[in-house]
Amino acid sequence: MSTSIQVKNLSKTYEYFKKEAGLTGSLKSLFWREKLYNEALKGISFKIDEGELIGFLGPNGAGKTTTLKILSGILYPTSGEAVVLGYVPWKRSPEYQRQFSIVMGQKNQLWWDLPAQESFQLNKEIYEIDTKTYRNNLDELIELFEIKDILDIPVRKLSMGQRMKCELSAALLHSPRVLFLDEPTIGLDIISQEKIRHYLSEYNKIKKTTVLLTSHYMRDVERLCGRVIVINNGIIVYDGSVQDLMNTYGKHKIIRLRFSKEYTENGLAKYGEILERDGLCVVLKTGKEDIAASTARILNELPVEDLSVEEIEIEEVIKKIFTG
Amino acid sequence: MKQLAYNIFRKIKRYLHLYRVFLSQNLKEDMIYRSNFITLAVMDIGFVSVSVILFKIIFTHVTSIAGWTFHQSVILIGSVGIIREMAYLTFRRGFLELGNHIRKGTFDTFMVRPMAPNIHLAFRHISISESFGEAITGVVLVIYGILHLNNWTWVSIPLYIIFLLNSLFVYYGFSLLINSIVFWVIKTQELNTIVYFFMETSRYPGDIYRGVGKFIFTFIIPIGIIATVPASVLTGRTSWSSALIALFVGISFLTTGILVWRKSIEHYSSASG
Repeated sequence: MSTSIQVKNLSKTYEYFKKEAGLTGSLKSLFWREKLYNEALKGISFKIDEGELIGFLGPNGAGKTTTLKILSGILYPTSGEAVVLGYVPWKRSPEYQRQFSIVMGQKNQLWWDLPAQESFQLNKEIYEIDTKTYRNNLDELIELFEIKDILDIPVRKLSMGQRMKCELSAALLHSPRVLFLDEPTIGLDIISQEKIRHYLSEYNKIKKTTVLLTSHYMRDVERLCGRVIVINNGIIVYDGSVQDLMNTYGKHKIIRLRFSKEYTENGLAKYGEILERDGLCVVLKTGKEDIAASTARILNELPVEDLSVEEIEIEEVIKKIFTG
Repeated sequence: MKQLAYNIFRKIKRYLHLYRVFLSQNLKEDMIYRSNFITLAVMDIGFVSVSVILFKIIFTHVTSIAGWTFHQSVILIGSVGIIREMAYLTFRRGFLELGNHIRKGTFDTFMVRPMAPNIHLAFRHISISESFGEAITGVVLVIYGILHLNNWTWVSIPLYIIFLLNSLFVYYGFSLLINSIVFWVIKTQELNTIVYFFMETSRYPGDIYRGVGKFIFTFIIPIGIIATVPASVLTGRTSWSSALIALFVGISFLTTGILVWRKSIEHYSSASG
């Protein structure tokens, strides 16, 4: 499989000026300003193959968005190299721009007062998509995203979920070979989130488009990506399969139970580590291998009304990586 | 050479096509705020009338300003209105919106499309309504002026149009240079006030400047050229040398404007989030 994205020692330092509060501060800054530096990326390297769907995880300010912006030519790096589809992104050559797309969950790229259909039509002209291809792609996207009924409604009147579906359709009309998604599910309700995830995985399966997706919803990555890159403070702290990440750092399972009647005895610790205990509800953590035995014993020996077993959330896993 | 010419031709053709598409898109958007249109037009007509009346008052005391008669001055004022509308039909409102785009980070979109960011920004905000009234009054004033001229030929019409375009290049280049600063300071309000006064001042004939002033207002802040040269061409007042200087200034402002802008864009830091 050929390489789609190659990044070597990429660094980005933002420069900004310190400004003191108040009018005096503003006046002072006219004559004397202190320059501050923020190292958003500190020499990251990775390689992504064509057709991969990769998750980019990390807390806010970790450098995820900065990386995507450099790879799409919006920002110039301070140092380092990057090649996407054989192009250096920040040279912004039209040949490269025709082959990728970027969708940002918090930034609207559609014409706000007009129906999405109009923005689609405009993209057809900007990307010089021939009419037949355009029709085919549009039909496909309309079917995949189920947006037939909302095409004629002004974008400002759409719900966030509907708008994101339209944003994605607009970005995919020219069949990009690489797709950058910055927090595509941000601000959406659970059902819309699930739907967007479903569409994305379907699209990636059908089209074999390389997708690089940032998120701080761990479900996005768990659900969609085989491989995940975890970044913190501008450094890559993990690069590997989601499964390995879970196996290395998530060797435990969570048992949630609710008692049918008051249970105050202290013998609970023998079933697992007690994470929470609040009246009738208890959350326990046990090793993955003895999960079956533990649950069986709990069901036998305790007055349980309800019990569920859950995976440890990636949030927890990442917190663990960060804290060592 | 032939290849280069072909590429340039293809590029121009593509951008003309895109202009048409964007224009219709902008019109659809404008329709939503129709009442705006009429208010703005009435305001513009008012403003232009005020400056004509002012000139009229001055001309009741003198017969000419720096060699310009009343009717020639009317053409001058009219030309400013026409150039303004030409700017609104192309790039002007884009620059007014630039500060917002940068602050909110929506300028990102212009950086990733297969289109020059400056052209995309301009086409995204084509506005007919903004100085439509001024343009209408402008055309009326120019025609009125022409009818009262005695040394006037048909040839001067196409020349007039060419020099109007040249002035548009000067105006665009100047706007690009000034607005390039936005990638460092983020706020553009003040910057566009500079551009506004630049155009305001251009309604006085360039001939009023002498010596160092003449040099500055021709080559550095070319307000002595914008309206004066097209109006001079139309009224038969121009010399070949001043026409050539104007063309030189037009081309150099446009090219330096584009080069400086391209370099400044590298400084775009986007908005996080």
